[in-house]
Amino acid sequence: MSEAIAYATIRELGARYRARQLSPVEVTRALLARIEKLDPALHAFVTLTADRALADARAAEDALRRGDGRPLLGIPVAHKDIYLTRGIRTTGGSALLADWVPDEDATCVRRWQAAGTILLGKLITHEFALGIQFPGHRFPPARNPWNRDHIPGGSSSGSGAALAAGLVTGATGSDTGGSIRGPAAFCGIAGLKPTYGRSSRAGVLTLSWTLDHTGPLARTVEDCAYLMQPLAGHDPGDPASSRAPVGDYVAALSRDVRGLKVGVPRNYFFEGVDPEVERAFEEAMATLRRLGAEVRDVAIPSLARTHSFLLIMLAEAYAYHEGDLRAHPELYGDVLRERLQAGALVTGAEYVQAQRVRSEICAETAEVLRAVDVLATPTTPKPATPFALAHDPEFGFPRSNMPPFNITGLPALALPCGFSASGLPLSLQLAGRPFEEATVLRAGHAYEQATTWHTRRPPV
Amino acid sequence: MSDGHELTLPELRERIEVAGITIAENRLGMVRKLLSDALVHVRARDARVLKTVEPAVRFAPETRDE
Repeated sequence: MSEAIAYATIRELGARYRARQLSPVEVTRALLARIEKLDPALHAFVTLTADRALADARAAEDALRRGDGRPLLGIPVAHKDIYLTRGIRTTGGSALLADWVPDEDATCVRRWQAAGTILLGKLITHEFALGIQFPGHRFPPARNPWNRDHIPGGSSSGSGAALAAGLVTGATGSDTGGSIRGPAAFCGIAGLKPTYGRSSRAGVLTLSWTLDHTGPLARTVEDCAYLMQPLAGHDPGDPASSRAPVGDYVAALSRDVRGLKVGVPRNYFFEGVDPEVERAFEEAMATLRRLGAEVRDVAIPSLARTHSFLLIMLAEAYAYHEGDLRAHPELYGDVLRERLQAGALVTGAEYVQAQRVRSEICAETAEVLRAVDVLATPTTPKPATPFALAHDPEFGFPRSNMPPFNITGLPALALPCGFSASGLPLSLQLAGRPFEEATVLRAGHAYEQATTWHTRRPPV
Repeated sequence: MSDGHELTLPELRERIEVAGITIAENRLGMVRKLLSDALVHVRARDARVLKTVEPAVRFAPETRDE
């Protein structure tokens, strides 16, 4: 199989299908062979659904013969293993659910299926989207295709690794404190955390109700736009789901960024940032200026209190897991169990105060977004962490540039903006106003079209 | 409750006892750091001037799902 097919975009695959140069069955067989060859070293997949994939591919071929024009028809995808899949085990990356086979699909799974995608399988997640798998865990952790000694990010670790290695064309992720954008950043791909309420969480294992988001990861911003389209829209199965109108994300990409106001919040996001990351970010801002965007500094002082979001996340996560933790503590990884138990130690008053701090951050950020159209920051302060450091039980919860947009629920996109001297990807984060995914994607696409970072391939 | 913003070890032990959970002695330092880092920003604020989380209830016309 050629690398060109493994790394083809959604637009390229669709064009080749419709020109009869390639068929969904050919692509599926080729990707299944590639997964068989590469995944034993990467551990991106926890369950491969080869029969289902070939059945989906044949159905896509039939539809193409009938002239079906759906853009995601015949596009090979896989789901993070916290998305429920009917008749296919859903482990949550946990020994607790190792053999659980749900009898329903998550809404996002159903929507991608209805859009004509091909399901290749389920992708490993950090245990319950929070605890990285330590050596000896029931499920081994995914490895970063750019350097297998480094983590691919988490918790959508399999999604990031599978896309960077050319094993799938699209994948779902979930993002409570950065779990879509972190793997996108560390694996050199794109990931979109949409607005809170834009994409349904129904049928997705909960980590923290008020911070959880679902969304797509892909190798390009345009692919993210294609994959986001069917995920957007009201779902009565998710109490937070919004009825706000849904735009045409792909059509929005054709507009340029001349006159777009880009704000750079200089406080918080640049504390402890690696010089290579900062240099790549400043070059990205220069590129946006050359494209006609107006880039200027802004201030959001309340972001200094971002880390209080952990009180919300840990308390809500403990509320979700308390029964299983008390009944089956041995089925949780040691570090995850400790993190969840920390949630039991947050008082009611502290949880409320953290939500009040959150409302301050939301208000200040909204005020800044009256003056600028998007905010730009480095996605992560450093490139991918080595396993040797991440597996240190004292590693804890490092500060991160991504939770501000879980706290505020604003749409945020991660996309490649360079490489470190050691060959690890660096990433740019763009965030926008509520339900303005189209603006964020447009800015990201314009930057991507002006650069070549997204075309680099890891040495797999 | 300590006067400072840090969660002290005796305070952590007290909370563990109240919660009825068990955390290994050699892991208490990690849990204390995790909570302290998150709590410091809340404890440093004057709770009386923080913005509220209201409205807790919001009434808006909604279309019923069919």
